[in-house]
Amino acid sequence: MKRAPLFVLAGTIAGFAGVLSFHTGPVTPAALAVPASHAGDGAHSGRRATAAPARHRAARTGGVRSAVGATEQFGYGQLAVKVTASGNRITNVTVPAIQTAEPYSQQLASQVIPTLRSEVLSGQNARISGVSGATYTSQAYAMSLQAALDQLHIK
Amino acid sequence: MATDGPVVSHAEAVMGTVVSFAVVPGGQSGQAAARAIEAACAALHRADATFSTWDPQSPVSRLRRGAAALRELPVEVAEVLDLCEEARKASGGWFDPWAIPGGVDPTGLVKGWAVEQALAVLREAGIEAAMVNGGGDIAVFGAAVPGQGWRVGIRHPWRAGALACILEVQAAVATSGSYERGAHLLNPFTGQPASRAASATITGPSLAMADALATALAAGGDEVLGIVAGLDGYAGYLIRADGSEADTGGIPFVS
Repeated sequence: MKRAPLFVLAGTIAGFAGVLSFHTGPVTPAALAVPASHAGDGAHSGRRATAAPARHRAARTGGVRSAVGATEQFGYGQLAVKVTASGNRITNVTVPAIQTAEPYSQQLASQVIPTLRSEVLSGQNARISGVSGATYTSQAYAMSLQAALDQLHIK
Repeated sequence: MATDGPVVSHAEAVMGTVVSFAVVPGGQSGQAAARAIEAACAALHRADATFSTWDPQSPVSRLRRGAAALRELPVEVAEVLDLCEEARKASGGWFDPWAIPGGVDPTGLVKGWAVEQALAVLREAGIEAAMVNGGGDIAVFGAAVPGQGWRVGIRHPWRAGALACILEVQAAVATSGSYERGAHLLNPFTGQPASRAASATITGPSLAMADALATALAAGGDEVLGIVAGLDGYAGYLIRADGSEADTGGIPFVS
């Protein structure tokens, strides 16, 4: 069986019935990685898992553009993803904002997040719709990423 | 999404996780799709209210501490417990909500069941194709793009952000393991924490059953893989603690 280390999207294995509330302090941003995939039209509806859909206008500098996705909650905190692109190619992905309920979650996030980077940047043509057995952190990451990609009209 | 066509997406915070939707409206308007998603989310919140073991006033909490009889509770509680019994038998006892300290706890099956309910709402609304991802427990119907099922990555158990493989899922897939949040599995025969698998994946027609069987496979490892091999319509894929792999056959690997 061929192993294809693509990227990220995700879910969780943990339990039912958690608590989505945070008291937090801002945490040092970590460099991130991005999946690519995802061409949805981003039409969101109903109640969103989003604290505030921060629709920053995509910044343009010549052919290089960047956008910050909506802040997305995961079971133990919230984060936002920033995508930089040149033309339609993603050149960088970072997490300018992450907050977690406690240090352990921050530690988990800091382990999960950097690994995604190279895999996403190298896997821009990955085409998958979801991940089974993945993590809270990467789920929030994927959603914020999608919001950023939508702003940049990258499919 | 795995398509360039219009896919309506949505994410809902519920059941202690994030449930995401990818909906191909087909002949339905975007507005109708949005209403269907809203109704599906309402089903998820109802399931959360009924089965939360965190809320002491939830029907399942009252049942667990003996404060209410089954017949006094919403009919879904009995329905889910029937499915739990079915899964207990199918798994050779490796999935056993009655072996959990503090009273019967259907949590290992409920998330899959609730996601299935949400998907049924979308199907009944006339949606062409959809995927509902309940924190990694995934149920789908229809084709993500014409002629292609929904492609789902299976998270690699210790390489964060990497996938162990990709499956093309027809109905349901659930994965259990002891990564991100630590060991949460019990051996129902000993009552001790147990994990004989780094990652345990089940595909099959019902997500409720797949969810329960994935829990059983993670706790019981190869022994449960043999049991799953004998179940009609279900397939199992195991990554052992040493990184070696085994499957029952019938897992729809794409890569």
